[in-house]
Amino acid sequence: MPAQDGLWYKDAIIYQVHVRAFYDSTGDGNGDFRGLAQRLDYLQDLGINAIWLMPFFPSPLRDDGYDISDYRSVNPTYGTLDDFKVFLDAAHQHGIRVIIEMVLNHTSDQHPWFQESRSSRDNPRRDWYVWSDTDTKYKGTRIIFLDTELSNWAWDPVSKQYYWHRFFSHQPDLNYDNPQVREEMWDVMRFWLNMGVDGFRLDAVPYLVEREGTNCENLAETHSMLKELRARLDKEFPGRMLLAEANQWPADLLPYFGNGDEFHMAFHFPLMPRMFMGVKLEDRKPITEILKQTPQIPEPCQWCLFLRNHDELTLEMVTDMERDYMYDEYAREKAQRLNLGIRRRLAPLLDNDRRKMELMNGMLMSLPGTPIVYYGDEIGMGDNVNLGDRNGVRTPMQWSGGWNGGFSAADPETLYAPLLLNPVYGFQAINVLSQKRFDHSLLSWMKLLIRVRKSSPVLSRGSIEFLYPANHRVLAYLRKLGNETVLVVNNLSSKAQALELDLKGYRGNILIEMFGRNIFPRIGELPYLLTLGPYQFYWFRLRRI
Amino acid sequence: MPETSILSDDFVRELINVGEVDILVGVPTYNDGATVGQVVQAVRAGLLQYFPRERAVIINADGGSRDGTQDLVRAASISDLSVAPDIRALRTLHSISTRYEGGPASGIALRTILAAADLLQARACAMVAPDSPTLEPNWIERLLRPLLRDGRDLVLPVYRRHKFEGLLIRNLVYPMTRSIYKCSVREPYPADFAFSGTLGSRFLAQDIWTQDQGRYGTELWLTLSAIVERCKVTQSFLGTKTRSESGPADLVKAMRESAGVLFGSLEANFAAWSSPREPLEAPCVACEPTVSLEHSRLNRKRLYQMFAFGVSELEPVFLSILSSPTHEALKRLAKLPEERFSYPEELWVRTVYEFAAAYHKAVIGRDHIVQALVPLFRGRAFTFLTENRDASADQVEANIESLCQAFEQQKPYLLEVWNGRK
Repeated sequence: MPAQDGLWYKDAIIYQVHVRAFYDSTGDGNGDFRGLAQRLDYLQDLGINAIWLMPFFPSPLRDDGYDISDYRSVNPTYGTLDDFKVFLDAAHQHGIRVIIEMVLNHTSDQHPWFQESRSSRDNPRRDWYVWSDTDTKYKGTRIIFLDTELSNWAWDPVSKQYYWHRFFSHQPDLNYDNPQVREEMWDVMRFWLNMGVDGFRLDAVPYLVEREGTNCENLAETHSMLKELRARLDKEFPGRMLLAEANQWPADLLPYFGNGDEFHMAFHFPLMPRMFMGVKLEDRKPITEILKQTPQIPEPCQWCLFLRNHDELTLEMVTDMERDYMYDEYAREKAQRLNLGIRRRLAPLLDNDRRKMELMNGMLMSLPGTPIVYYGDEIGMGDNVNLGDRNGVRTPMQWSGGWNGGFSAADPETLYAPLLLNPVYGFQAINVLSQKRFDHSLLSWMKLLIRVRKSSPVLSRGSIEFLYPANHRVLAYLRKLGNETVLVVNNLSSKAQALELDLKGYRGNILIEMFGRNIFPRIGELPYLLTLGPYQFYWFRLRRI
Repeated sequence: MPETSILSDDFVRELINVGEVDILVGVPTYNDGATVGQVVQAVRAGLLQYFPRERAVIINADGGSRDGTQDLVRAASISDLSVAPDIRALRTLHSISTRYEGGPASGIALRTILAAADLLQARACAMVAPDSPTLEPNWIERLLRPLLRDGRDLVLPVYRRHKFEGLLIRNLVYPMTRSIYKCSVREPYPADFAFSGTLGSRFLAQDIWTQDQGRYGTELWLTLSAIVERCKVTQSFLGTKTRSESGPADLVKAMRESAGVLFGSLEANFAAWSSPREPLEAPCVACEPTVSLEHSRLNRKRLYQMFAFGVSELEPVFLSILSSPTHEALKRLAKLPEERFSYPEELWVRTVYEFAAAYHKAVIGRDHIVQALVPLFRGRAFTFLTENRDASADQVEANIESLCQAFEQQKPYLLEVWNGRK
């Protein structure tokens, strides 16, 4: 796809999808690239203009593909490399860019590199991973998967040493102090860039380098290595994009942007749980507080915002008091909790309340950043916590009320994961086909939302200024870009609210509601009075006529 | 002509911004700048510690302070505009203030706060005195928890007081309330108390706000109303109650607000107390001994002198109020030398009941009746101080209990004089 605009990622609406979960073209019970290509019309119609693909590489699938055993191929279950190329070209023809996952931090323990590395202490690839005679090094490092791992070291009975792993013990960390590793991983990225992918979501980047006496996160050596990658990317593939997965506080995230010379985008992890908290508390305080703590980032950079994704709703970046509150309000059942988070989808988290789903998506699309829509959330799909780990939010896409929800022609027993069947969220109740029939379905509404979001660059590239009306249940802000100003007003409460906005600086402007294009009264000397229904939000374009 | 609202437009605007709440803490004030800052900080700490998830608001109804009281209350707000780095709060906490018309009057303040609670649909409301330097954050928990957790309607305080504090409560309001209304609450006229939103709304709807009890002694009226309606009343031990030093107490005013309201309630609730009723339980949560024995100085001699002087000076008034035997007994008492003076509890109870009956029959102006009780109460207070000068806490409690029983035993006498000639 031609890189006409180097800042394309700022205007992107990203759709996150796992190829295995989207559409099965072969009838083997697994989604595949041919199937995904067949559904590009749907995605184009939805209005998204970028896809983020979860790992699709060969893998033992002990961590849903984040345990890669070959970086230069496609898992045969999902098709062939040629299938991927066909999909990639088709996506570009649909005006959709493709961002793929790149797991730099670790491989599968089945990867040939690790197999060689563990085969003997003298193997040339021994130093590609982090080995130690003891399990006491890097003591200050936290364990991420608290529910399953007791240590970041695992004993290898073959070579009789411990190896370092920040995630599951079957995912040994690569050793980025080794120049060969850095060179090899760049070569992997170049392999996919040459094919035409538009960007990478780089997984678990804070953990690339280890140093004694530190917490082994966000180290200067890690940033140095990432900058090196970025420089190579800009030189050889200008217009491509790097997105950081770094679950950190905003101040700790800033270095990942560097001076605009490291990542183009990074997820804003701490904002996401606070959006849920704000709606449950009916109070804007958690949201405005975290955004106040969010530093300015270099001009070419952008935050990436999301409501839900393939992982648990992470509660690492909240206080203990906030975490307890979130658990009690959003995960009353113990089974809904995983690690330090909540393994639920958007609709169940929001009590299947259409108004709350609209409000949350409205904020997602109007706060500063590039929004990501997780597959199925555009129709309000549910989850199944009984599937273990995070598989409950990775069930097959629900296309219709027919056989296997329109996902696959296979026997239901052979699907990679069971479809949701319950009367509320099951495929017969929630599916694309039925929602396409109605203008007021969630799907149709999401299309409208995306269309309005894309109608002006002010929402994707503009600055933000909070208004702080005295009514704390209302979150209001102005987005500005050049001469254009958009006023966003969100009622976080389940009850109707009245509020007064200080808009003196915009006296004389009239407000144009962006969804219906209706005119609201002109801004005068007095505070601007608005009323909002439960969970209602407005986007107003300010015009001086 | 439209009825004038008791809530100013600015206050209503602030209430709109607060919205629906779970908890409302009311703080009535009038020139309490010396103490109110500490009080609202303790209230805020209590809300953050014990009710961090509930939607809460602190509302100050001020009677016209000129000492910065209102600003001190407002400073307790927590919002995304005023973030104190040392405060960890999940949500916004509004602390707002309004000045009511016609003040200062505690009843108007209470009505203002009740109206706000009604508009905000508060589930639980606590009222705290602005001059309680001993108020601790856990008072908020002890006042509100029985409402929110146990579904109680009214939570009254139990304090640990010095044995010579609260003499009017101990010698008149508590024992008379207990005997007449058959509900044993130690502080029927509370400074710190809590009530459910439902009870608050019902009380707000009462037709008392243009009468005396709607201006003063309103808290006592609320207690008595709740008892008469057989609401679920709980007592909660709060701790030591002291008041900031603010000059000598105005005993006439105190008598008007307590005995006056209590006498007035007898008329309004005659049907409730004049016929046999089951006692209303008011369990006490975490109760501890209520009498402390720190050193305290009171001028007993002056009490004695004012009693004797009053009996003499107010003889024409007493002739209208008291029966002959009671009056004669008082005159004999007034002639006793100080060292032999004692106002026996039976006589004190009979005196009070005859005053209550006279108040009912309005034999003279009711306010005069209440005022005339003041010198007699001083005599009773003198006796209480004398009897308990060297008493232990248990002995003080026993003496108070004895007085309560005297009030209970002589209740038939009240009924007798209620409709009798005197």
